Amino acid sequence: MPISPPFRLSRFQRLLIHAALIALSVPVLLPLVWMISTSLKTDAQVYAVGAQSAPPLTLSSLVPHPVQWRNYPDALRAVPFLAYLRNTLFLCAVTVLGAVLSSAIVAYGFARLEFKGKNALFLLMISTLALPAQVTMIPVFALFRALGWYGTYLPLTVPAFCGAPFFIFLLTQFYRTLPGELAEAARVDGASEWTIFRRIILPLSKPALATCALFQFLGTWNDFFGPLLYINDPAQYTLAYGLQQFVSNRGGQWTHLMAGATLFTVPIIVLFFFTQRTFIQGIATTGVKN
Amino acid sequence: MRTEREGQDLSSPQGEKRMLKKQIVGYAFIGPWIAGFLIFTAIPFLTSVYLSFTRYTILTPPVWVGAANYRALLREDPLFWKSLGVTFQFAAAAVPLGILAGIGLALLLNQNVGGISVYRTIFYLPSIVPAVATSVLFLWILNPQIGLINRLLLHFGVVGPAWLQDPIWAPRSLVGMSLWGVGGSMIIYLAGLKDIPAHLYEAAVIDGANAWQRLRHVTLPMLTPVIFFNLVMGVIGTFQYFTEVYIMTQGGPEDSTLFYALYLFNRAWRYLDMGYASAMAWILFAIVMALTGFLFQTQRRWVHYGD
Amino acid sequence: MATERDNRLTRREILASGLGMAAALGLSGCWSDGARRAYPDRIPVRFWHMWTAEWQAVVERIADRFNRSQARYEVVPLSVPASGADAKYLLAITGGDPPDVMAQWNPVLPTWAENGALTSLDELMTPAERAWTERETYPVFRRAGIFRGRRYAMPLGPNISACFYRPDHFRKAGLDPDRFPEDLETLVQWADRLHQFDRSGQLKRIGFLPQYFTQFAPLFGGGFYDERTGALTLNTPPNRRALTFLADYRRKLGFGNVIRFTSGLAGDTSGGVDWPFLSGAYSITQDGQWRIEQLEKFAPHLEYRTAPLPPPAGGRRLAGWATSDMLLVPRGSRQPQGAWEFIKFWSGLERPERAAEFYLWGGWLPIADAIAYAPVYQSYIQKHPALRTFLELAASPNLVAPPPVPFQAYLVDHISRAEDLAVRGTRPPEQALVGLEADIAKERARRKELGYAD
Repeated sequence: MPISPPFRLSRFQRLLIHAALIALSVPVLLPLVWMISTSLKTDAQVYAVGAQSAPPLTLSSLVPHPVQWRNYPDALRAVPFLAYLRNTLFLCAVTVLGAVLSSAIVAYGFARLEFKGKNALFLLMISTLALPAQVTMIPVFALFRALGWYGTYLPLTVPAFCGAPFFIFLLTQFYRTLPGELAEAARVDGASEWTIFRRIILPLSKPALATCALFQFLGTWNDFFGPLLYINDPAQYTLAYGLQQFVSNRGGQWTHLMAGATLFTVPIIVLFFFTQRTFIQGIATTGVKN
Repeated sequence: MRTEREGQDLSSPQGEKRMLKKQIVGYAFIGPWIAGFLIFTAIPFLTSVYLSFTRYTILTPPVWVGAANYRALLREDPLFWKSLGVTFQFAAAAVPLGILAGIGLALLLNQNVGGISVYRTIFYLPSIVPAVATSVLFLWILNPQIGLINRLLLHFGVVGPAWLQDPIWAPRSLVGMSLWGVGGSMIIYLAGLKDIPAHLYEAAVIDGANAWQRLRHVTLPMLTPVIFFNLVMGVIGTFQYFTEVYIMTQGGPEDSTLFYALYLFNRAWRYLDMGYASAMAWILFAIVMALTGFLFQTQRRWVHYGD
Repeated sequence: MATERDNRLTRREILASGLGMAAALGLSGCWSDGARRAYPDRIPVRFWHMWTAEWQAVVERIADRFNRSQARYEVVPLSVPASGADAKYLLAITGGDPPDVMAQWNPVLPTWAENGALTSLDELMTPAERAWTERETYPVFRRAGIFRGRRYAMPLGPNISACFYRPDHFRKAGLDPDRFPEDLETLVQWADRLHQFDRSGQLKRIGFLPQYFTQFAPLFGGGFYDERTGALTLNTPPNRRALTFLADYRRKLGFGNVIRFTSGLAGDTSGGVDWPFLSGAYSITQDGQWRIEQLEKFAPHLEYRTAPLPPPAGGRRLAGWATSDMLLVPRGSRQPQGAWEFIKFWSGLERPERAAEFYLWGGWLPIADAIAYAPVYQSYIQKHPALRTFLELAASPNLVAPPPVPFQAYLVDHISRAEDLAVRGTRPPEQALVGLEADIAKERARRKELGYAD
C-alpha cells in the first residue's frame, strides 16, 4: 500500500482501499443511522422494536414507516432552538479565535525558542491537565464570582485567550516536526521571531491549527457544564443545555431525544464536511522544500 | 526539549545581551499562558492542595484535619483501590488500541481515492455526537436482548453476552465504545501526516524504498511527536473518563465500571466530601504526572523531532 | 516563494475570522437583556428545579398559575438538568447567590440541612400552617423533610411502587384477577404459574420479579432506621429475610437467566413506550403511579390493574419505601416569603382543592386527604381507578422514608451495592448485609475522627 499522497495508486489498490473504508464505515454509521431513524419514528414503532425476544436485526426495522417528520418541529418547539444556536455560535466564534491564536503563539515559544526554565514550565503546563476539574471547580467559581463575572459569558470566553494547554501541547509537537532551515535562513536575514512565527510557522501549520479550531469548536459546542454553572438567565443558555432538556429523569421520549441529538449534530457535520479540506492542504502539497 | 544551543557565546557582553533578549522574547511568547496560569489556574490548584488536608462539605468552611484523608484513602478504602484498578485496566486496553486504530484509519484516509472527504466525514462523525447522545445510543446498541449488536450476532447463531450488565463485559464494552469515537485522534494523525514534508518521500523513493519501508522509515518516525501527544493525552484522559459511565452504568454492575473520576465525583458532589475528593485528585495527579514524566523520559529514545 | 502566497492566505483567514467574530458579536447584540419577564414590576422569586422534558412544561404551567393568582411576586423558573444540578445548587448557595426556592429529589436534605444550607420552613410557617401540616399530611410526609426536629422541606408527593398486573395473563393461567394475592407466599405461587420459558429453557415471560431491597425490607417488617432511637438498622432479621427472599427467588429462576431477561428490557428509567409491561414481558411488575398516565397515552386499550405489594406472613401491610420530590428554601434566599407563598400555593397548604389540579398535571400523589378528596382529584380517580392503590399506599403509616442521616447518599448507595451483590448471586445475602454494616460503620468512624457530628 502506498504510504502518503504523491504516489499514484493502481486500480486494484484503489478498490482495496474503498472496500476497507466501506467495511469500516458500516459499524461507524449504524448507530447514527439508528439515531436518525428513531428520530423519524412514531412512539409506537420504537415500541415495536422494544418487544421482548426481538428477532435478528433486519434493515427494514431501521426504516421508519410512516415517517414522523413532526418530531423535528416538536423538538424545535420544546426549546428556544434559534436563541440557543445564536448563543452557542457566539461562544464558539470567540473561543475558537481566542484559543487557537493564543495557543499558537505560546506553542511557538515552547517549540522554537530557548529560555530558562522552559522544560519545567512545559511540564507544569501539561500537569494542569492532570488535575480533575471537579476539585478545582469551587475555587475557580469563587474566583469568577469575585471578579464579578458570575452570570456573564466572561468565564466561558476570557480563559480561552490564555491558551489551552491541550492545544499548546499539540501545536508544540507539530512545530517541532517542521524543518528548521527556513526559520534559520530568515533569522540570518534579521527577521524577528514574531515575523518568523507569522510568516513561516503559522502558514506551515495550517492543518494543525485547523485541527485545534475544530476541537475548540466542538468543545464549546458540547460544553454543557460551563454554561450551566455560570449562566442564570434562561435566555442565555446554549444548545448543549437545550439537548439536556430532552433527557428526562424518567427516560423521556426517545424520538424527541434523538431528533434533538440529530439537530444538535447536523450543523457540525456540515461544518466539518466543508472544512476538512484544510486538513489536506498540508505542506506536503504546497511544496516547501528549498 | 533541546537546550544545547543555549550558553554559546556567553563570554562576550554582546552574547550576554543576546541571551537576555532571548529570554525576554521567549517569555513574551508564552506570556498569555503564564498570565492565564497565574490568574485562573494557580490559585485553584493551591486551594485544592489545601482542601485535601481538610474536611470540607462545600457548604461550611473547611476544617484542617492533617493527612487523615490520605490515610483513609490508602489504608481503608477498598473502593479507592477498586476504582484505580478499573481505570488502569481500561487505560491499558483503550490507549494502545486507540493509537493503533487512529493511525490505521488516518493512513487509510490519507490515500488518494475518490470520495475521500466523505469517508473522512463518516469516520469523524462519532466524535461529533455529544457524549450524552452517544451514551444513550450505546445503551440501546449494547442492550442484550433488543440491542443492535446481539441482534446482529443472532444471524451467526451466537447469543451475545449481557454487555453492560455483565461485570466482565461492561468494561470491555466501554473500550469498544471508545474505539467508536477514535475519529478525534484520527484527525490529529491526519494533520500529522499532512505535515510530513513531501521531499522526505521523494528522497525515499529515489533510494528505492517500497511502501512498507516508507511507512517504517519515514511516516512513522515523522508521526512520533503526534503519537507521543496522543499517548500522553490518552493516559490523562482515561483518568478523567466520566460522562459515559455517569450516564450508562453509574459504576455498576458490581463496581466493574467504577472509574476513578466517577468515584471522585461521587465523593465530591454526592457525598459532599470535597476534602476527601481533593486528596483523591492529588493522588491521581501524582500518578498521572509520574506516568507522564516517565513517558517524557522515554521520548528521547523514540520520538523524532525535525529541529 | 511559496511562503509568500501562504502568508497572504493567512492574512485573509485572520480577516475572515475577525469578520466572523464581529458578526457573532453583532448577533449577540440581538439578545434580550435578561429573560423576558412577564411581570417586570413585581418582586422576582427565582425558582430552580430539576424537571426536564414534559415535566418542565408542567412546572412552568404551575409557576404561571401562581403568577396569575396574585400581584406581588413573579416566580421565574429555571430548569437545571439533574446531571449538573447538585454542583450548580451548591456553588450558588456557597457563593451567596442562591435561588429563592428550589426543588430537589436527590438524598441531599439531611446533608444540606446539617450544614446550614437550608432555611427551616418553621421560620416561615404560621402556627396554623404548622398545625395543618402536622395533622393533615400523610405520615410519611410528616417524617420526610424533617431533620433533627425541624422542617426543611415541603414534600410534593411520594414516589412509591405497587404491583401492575395483566388480567389477561391471569385468566389464561387459570388465576382469578379479581382476587389478587393478599400475601407474598401466594403471589410467588401464582407467579410460578405465570412464568413462561422457551424451548431452550430461556425465560420468555416473568410472572413476577420482586425488586428493590429498600421496598421489601419494610414489607418484611424491617427498615433501615429506628425513629425512636435514631439508630440505623441494617443487618436485622427482617432485612436478612427480605434480601434472602429476593436472592432465592432469582436463584430459583437462575441468576444468569434473570439478569439476561431484565437487562434485555428497558428498565425503570425507560420512557413510556418501551416499558416491558406493555409488551407483556411481565405479568406482574412493580412501578410508580406515573405509569398510569403513560398507559393511557401509549396503550389505551390494554387491560391492567394495580394492587399493593402483599406482605409475607408476619410482615407489614401497605409497607414500602418512599422518596419524595421536595420544595426547599436555601439559605440566603432573598425572597423567603415569596418562596413560601409559592410553596403553599403548589403544595396545597393553601387551598388544597386548587392545588389538586397541579398534582394531576405532574402525576404526583397527594400529600393529604384534603387534596385527594378535592373534586378534580376524585373525578380523575373515577376515570383511573388504578390510582386508588397508590392513594391507599400514600396514606399508609408503614411507608419508610430514607433515613435522615447526614450521610444519606452514601448509605443509600451502599444499600443498593449490597443488594446488587446479593441478587446477582455474587455474595450470600447474610454476607452482603454484614459487609454493608461494616462499610457504614467504617465510614461513620472516619467521619467521627474527622470531627463531623454524625
